[in-house]
Amino acid sequence: MLPSVIRVIELRELTKRYGRRVAVDGLSVRVQPGVVTGFLGPNGSGKSTTMRMILGLDAPDRGEALIGGVPYPDLKWPLRTVGALLDAGAFHPGRSARAHLAALAASNDIPGSRVEQVLRIVGLSDAATRRAGTYSLGMRQRLGVAVALLGDPGVLLLDEPVNGLDPEGIRWIRDLLRGLAAEGRTVFVSSHLIAEMALTADRLVVIGRGRLLAETTVAELAAGDDSLEDAFFRLTSQATDYRGVGAS
Amino acid sequence: MNGYGFRQAARMERIKLGSVRSTWWLAIAAVVSMAAAGAGVGLGYRSHTPVATGAQILNNSLGGAIVAQLLLGALGVLMVTGEYGTGMIRSTFAAVPRRRIVVAAKAAVCGGAALTIGLVASFAGYLGGQLAIRGTAIPAASLGDGPILRAVLLTGVYLGATALIGVGIGTIVRHSGAAIGTLFGLMFVPMIVAGLFGESGIAVGRFVPLLMLLNSIAVTSPIPGLFAGWVSVLLMCGYAAAAILCGGLLLRHRDA
Repeated sequence: MLPSVIRVIELRELTKRYGRRVAVDGLSVRVQPGVVTGFLGPNGSGKSTTMRMILGLDAPDRGEALIGGVPYPDLKWPLRTVGALLDAGAFHPGRSARAHLAALAASNDIPGSRVEQVLRIVGLSDAATRRAGTYSLGMRQRLGVAVALLGDPGVLLLDEPVNGLDPEGIRWIRDLLRGLAAEGRTVFVSSHLIAEMALTADRLVVIGRGRLLAETTVAELAAGDDSLEDAFFRLTSQATDYRGVGAS
Repeated sequence: MNGYGFRQAARMERIKLGSVRSTWWLAIAAVVSMAAAGAGVGLGYRSHTPVATGAQILNNSLGGAIVAQLLLGALGVLMVTGEYGTGMIRSTFAAVPRRRIVVAAKAAVCGGAALTIGLVASFAGYLGGQLAIRGTAIPAASLGDGPILRAVLLTGVYLGATALIGVGIGTIVRHSGAAIGTLFGLMFVPMIVAGLFGESGIAVGRFVPLLMLLNSIAVTSPIPGLFAGWVSVLLMCGYAAAAILCGGLLLRHRDA
């Protein structure tokens, strides 16, 4: 694996506008290797946009996102440096999981044997020849995780990986992420589920309306208030776009 | 070990193209439609008076290219829009972040595949026509005959170029239905427009894909006023290059 400094994700004044709406607003964060960093925020707070900018899929209006000091497109072998799970549908439904992985492996000179390896890790070996469109949501997430692990990368970015997983799948993801971090990898995982983050993450980056609200640890955030949930609401109360009121 | 580049991206695209069913269905449909059109033409002329000429049979039996061009054009379109429609495009661009490499790889792989399919389809059209007129007084057209071989080969190349125009339009439009609609429109509407000019329409018509196909490329000798077959085919390749270039330029500044 790469030396640890190359595994740091650094966001500098990252800003993205969609028309007049500011999705990400001057976000500066360093995400360190060796721990799971949770990326928390209400719906629409800019988590996914930030992740897409790190991967060079969306272009920032201002600022930059660097992996070990290098913009994503300048990485020599992107998939061997950064593994990403962006959404559980980033595949062609007519293609088998094995072909999907084989194609992506070929793009970064990753040996074919690794495809079988990651299929085993995520538990899709028996379904590998099936068309991915026939998969359940949980299996799609597993395929997404297989893609992220494909290049044995030192940096992992996962956008809402537990969405659609059953309790067993959630625990599997949690153990997997903690294991990857323990191996010295950088694990940056977004979620709007505070309780889940409390179990998975060590460090937390909290954003609301595209702005950094806190860069802290799970222990610190929960210390002042009764629960992590209360602390989260206190932090994001000014930065939530949509809120319902109690039914009368 | 200089990092990702065209070679790796092309391998990825080859695996992707071969691993969806639509590729195979479109390829088979293109070959079958040309073979069927060829055979149909041959059968129709069997009892025709006066006896048809070899050129007549050849020109008409390549007419299935009208359908095959749409199928292969769709193949090219789907290679790009199939990824936008499903979210696959984000996986692709995450693997190969320099998007122009992706477009170049798609064009190369699609062009190679469509050229092969196009040539097979074109020969199938020729063979269908020839087999259907066996045992009649109609003279057989031999591939040893320069103009005959040229028409068959150029038709195959034309079909390959159509697929590349599809890649370009797909990259520009990004939506399957809209891109295929645009492609079909570009194939048929200019021909109708050229027709409105009557006699002088030929000055415009010689630049129109479908007219070039039917009157200059897939025929033993072009109609007067139209370009020679190879010039028409080069023009088609030029259209394809322009469309792909446009798509490539747009792609740089777009969010995926």
